[in-house]
Amino acid sequence: MTVVRDGDVVRLVGLCRVEDAEPLTALLQGFSHSTLDVSACEGLHAAVLQAILAFGPPIVGSPGDAFLRDRLLPAIAGERQTRAPKL
Amino acid sequence: MIDELMAQFLIEGRELVAGAERDLSILLRRPNDAAALDGCFRAIHTLKGSTGLFDLAPMGLMLHAAEDLLTLLRTERTGGAEDFEALLSVVDRVDSWLDALDRTGLLPPDAKQVGDAEERRLQVLVGGAESSPAAPTPASNGWRPPVEFNALGGLALRYTPRADSYFSGDDPIAIVAAAPGITGMRVSAREPWGALDDYDPYACNLVIEAVSSADRAAVEAAFRFVADQVDVVELATAEPVARIEGEGARRTLRIDAERVDRLADLADDLVIAKNGLLELAAQAEALPGGQALSQALRGRQAQLDRLVGDLHATVGKVRLAPLGPLFSRFPRLVREIARSLDKAVVLETTGGDVEVDKAIVDGLFEPLLHVLRNALDHGVETADARRAAGKPDVSTVRLSARTEADQVVIEVSDDGAGVDPARVRDVAVRRGVLSRWAADALDDRAAVDLVFTPGFSTAAEVSAVSGRGVGMDVVRAAATTLGGRVAIDSLSGRGATVRFILPVTMVLTKVMIVSCGAERYGLALDSVVETTRVSVDRIVPVRAGRAFLLRDQVAPLVSLGALVGATTFEDKAFERVVVARVQGELIGFGVDAIVDRMDAAVRPMTGLLAGAPGVVGTTLLPDGAVLMILDLAELII
Repeated sequence: MTVVRDGDVVRLVGLCRVEDAEPLTALLQGFSHSTLDVSACEGLHAAVLQAILAFGPPIVGSPGDAFLRDRLLPAIAGERQTRAPKL
Repeated sequence: MIDELMAQFLIEGRELVAGAERDLSILLRRPNDAAALDGCFRAIHTLKGSTGLFDLAPMGLMLHAAEDLLTLLRTERTGGAEDFEALLSVVDRVDSWLDALDRTGLLPPDAKQVGDAEERRLQVLVGGAESSPAAPTPASNGWRPPVEFNALGGLALRYTPRADSYFSGDDPIAIVAAAPGITGMRVSAREPWGALDDYDPYACNLVIEAVSSADRAAVEAAFRFVADQVDVVELATAEPVARIEGEGARRTLRIDAERVDRLADLADDLVIAKNGLLELAAQAEALPGGQALSQALRGRQAQLDRLVGDLHATVGKVRLAPLGPLFSRFPRLVREIARSLDKAVVLETTGGDVEVDKAIVDGLFEPLLHVLRNALDHGVETADARRAAGKPDVSTVRLSARTEADQVVIEVSDDGAGVDPARVRDVAVRRGVLSRWAADALDDRAAVDLVFTPGFSTAAEVSAVSGRGVGMDVVRAAATTLGGRVAIDSLSGRGATVRFILPVTMVLTKVMIVSCGAERYGLALDSVVETTRVSVDRIVPVRAGRAFLLRDQVAPLVSLGALVGATTFEDKAFERVVVARVQGELIGFGVDAIVDRMDAAVRPMTGLLAGAPGVVGTTLLPDGAVLMILDLAELII
């Protein structure tokens, strides 16, 4: 279990694999005001990343993994910003 | 969420439309300009992508057809005028639909038919063939790396994983992560997301763009299993400003305008809070032994004064916005107006990069549109008249902006017939604006300026374009509200230029506070010439009014309290007089006391009070009271 809902916060824990994309999608569809906490995330499968990109929840937390923190999240942040500013 | 998205789409849509328009106007002159062709394609493509986020099918279909035509022009044949005119027509259509979306949130009711017609016109140009459905993997050619990659240098690659990648066990992110020397990355959607209720988590819909500093062989090795889905492009190293516009290289931040306004308000309030210290220093001085404390307070106040001034100026700069987006709304409107008048007009805009306060950008649309309408309606002649005058059939109207010192000059100039001073005089007299005698006494320049007088309109008959009841006086009022002025220069037979001179930023106004009875009022200090004390026996009645001797000159004396309807103290031995210059004449305003001077950020009146005569605006006093700033000239007339 690496996708955990805690009230308005959805936490990604550990390595998120392709099979995590479906529960994450369901949560983001059902709770559209959710915030995504990635502080405990160690890696994202492309399918999970794609769901984050599609639903665009606000992201909080700074993961330990350098590639995730310095490359991947900024890479989708730019894309999200051009679509809809989260205020 | 939808509203935010839509607001964003409207902003970006207008930028994209402006970009496409610019490129198409280049292509009409140079059909083979590759940069313009690419730029136009990118703009149309991005617009099409955005329409998928909303229920904008007619716009999407029309843009899809436009994209097909542009693809053809990029790869197979050189475009002709009819191609680019059809594309321009599509772009105009999108622009007007964006206006409709902005107003009503919906496309106009005829959008479907209009869009279909545009689509068919484009399909004929493409070659009548059914537009081929997009291939599962988009063609690899024609990809240009994002501009921000240029600064990084090395190899740029675009990886478009197949839709079934997840099923076949690929993790595209892991593949990119494993590639050597990744220095930059961008992940985006290949196709618009569509309705999120139907989102399929297992259909891959990603495009990953990345930059690697490693050599080509190593990069290709990392992607060897998905080589068919990857394009690799060598980035020119240290390319010195490859793009002329240079917009991509600018470090900018898009901030909600409301937050900036709030920041500006806070900075304004800080100016007032700072002024409160001065009062405190005066109180301290009155205390026994308070001299030292008062000195220290004044020292601190001076320091704060500097800092607040600096902050205010900086916030003012944050509010600066380029005029480009505003200017880009006019080419289509001018084409529409020209068409309805059956005149041929080209609008040239320059100086879109000039930056002014956002409030000024926002407040300029209506006045500029009005001036442009007037230029087209009354300035530009019909084609026959132009030919007779030896001018080219197509008239050129120029909209330009430039900065001069701390002001910005915005001009609308046409090469039409100009304004005839004799005719203006006649019309003004006929409309009762002024007497024949006064009209003839004016020089030509002043006569032409009469067009800004309320109640004046030179159109012999009111036309549908210039409208009824709205004259150039509204334009002058708008310029004044924005803290600037507007004037017209005319060369008979050669055209006219309407020139706005506006402040670049909103500035602090020096205000003198006076009291009349229990009320306090502010007067803009720049209109005040001097203050004086006049003993009552030196005030002489002149018919219904009063006058006094100001050195060698007799000046009228009016009671400010009477003008604004406040009660004043009647029995005094002398009168406090503020001498102000109103329309070139010195006039004394009697007040009960001159209370103070301060720097204030004057806020214009809004809402119901916006039209209140004689009041420029309001500001807050240190004690929280609202101070009305009076416009002396308006009070007298």
